[in-house]
Amino acid sequence: MSPDSARRAENLGYTNVKVYHDGVPEWVKRNYLILSTQFLKDAWIEKDIPHVLVDVRPAAEAEKGFIKGAVTVPVVEIEKAIAKFPPKDKKAPIMIYDQKGGDDAVKAAKALITAGYAPVDIVSGGFDGWKAAGFPVQTGKLATNIVYVPKPRPGEISIEDFTKIAMNTPADTLILDVRNRDEGNAGMIKGAKLVPDEEILDRFAEVPKDKKIVTHCSTGVRAEMAYHKLKEKGYNVQFLNAKVEINDKGEFKLEKP
Amino acid sequence: MLRKCISLSLATVLTSGILIAGQAGAQEKAAAPAAPQAKPTVAKVCANCHQPQPGNLRANFDSVAYKTRSIQVKIDEATEILRFDDKLQLVNIQAPADAPDQPLRALKKGKEVRIEYTEKDGKKFMTLISAKPPIKIAPEKMVKTEDVEKLVALGPEKGKYMLIDARPLPRFQEGFIPTAVNIPFPAFEKMKDKLPADKATLIVYYCAGVT
Repeated sequence: MSPDSARRAENLGYTNVKVYHDGVPEWVKRNYLILSTQFLKDAWIEKDIPHVLVDVRPAAEAEKGFIKGAVTVPVVEIEKAIAKFPPKDKKAPIMIYDQKGGDDAVKAAKALITAGYAPVDIVSGGFDGWKAAGFPVQTGKLATNIVYVPKPRPGEISIEDFTKIAMNTPADTLILDVRNRDEGNAGMIKGAKLVPDEEILDRFAEVPKDKKIVTHCSTGVRAEMAYHKLKEKGYNVQFLNAKVEINDKGEFKLEKP
Repeated sequence: MLRKCISLSLATVLTSGILIAGQAGAQEKAAAPAAPQAKPTVAKVCANCHQPQPGNLRANFDSVAYKTRSIQVKIDEATEILRFDDKLQLVNIQAPADAPDQPLRALKKGKEVRIEYTEKDGKKFMTLISAKPPIKIAPEKMVKTEDVEKLVALGPEKGKYMLIDARPLPRFQEGFIPTAVNIPFPAFEKMKDKLPADKATLIVYYCAGVT
């Protein structure tokens, strides 16, 4: 998506356009990401997407008011506490906040990143920002045990189930490949139909209503967007949340994102 | 097996060609004496970046029939059939190994193509066909993690840059590179006014890497 955007910006007359092609997957190996308080609430807490929310203020301060679901790991104890975090290969999204979104959060985030954790997010504005936005605050003792139980996103099909369907697609099922045409031309899963995600809204007529639809792309992002579009139109649909590589023979490799 | 498929698709091209021609004729008759409606010449997917040009089509390749020297392309719902001959110019098209004298066989259905054509008696004749190259970024336009780290440390004011996250909003909401703004690629047109006023400003795009 970024190369296409860059090209279009150049068409508009921008003369100094660059692309950071490695993007987020490389960035998070050495750096933290930013999460706004609004996004923390909307995209994680309210959607009930599993994550680890860490309050790095002194416990006594945190008990006066904290964000629901947070565990307490005061910044002075962060090095010691690293062993308490879920194993790195679980890739648990970790969100860190302090009072104002300042140095303590950065320090804790850096300790985790150095230890090999990713992605690590800092909540911008910290607890003060959360409170100022009028979001709900809890008081009392915070959890001290870090619990992370990954669970599928709504509409997600397991890699195992997808593999079965892709090896031998039942007559009542259609795999919908929502990548772009260049990607599709380089190789597709046998029996799949290509409708790029950005064209779905114009091309519902080509997607059979009487079949179960399973969408995939190359990362899970576009597959999930397509899932929502089809769901809204009343389709029986699931999406694959996985990294997908397909060669020109239609052989594929799936990997958890 | 392969041969069978090819001859089958040949038959389809031929019949649909005749059908379309028949329909077009009927429409012209019915619409007379009003001028025939202009057919679109640029597919929606191409119209993001390209304007219509006289004598050019931007379309999705559908099929080719070497027997009749004709090609069928789609411009959204509409179908266009064009003839061609040996003088056809090819751009970015390499003949497949199993059909060295039929280079258009290399095109896959749906591939974006630009066609130059001439028109006579309502029939289009193709003189050039160019396949859209995959978008590649020149090495001097690529920046690495270190470069972005330096910019972010300076901040947009001092660093005089705009960092743009081209991922869809739900992904941006899950966490973004500090100082980034979200302009998802499909919303590029709608959000054009978010780009800096000064066109010399450094703009750095990123997304989720290999999407």
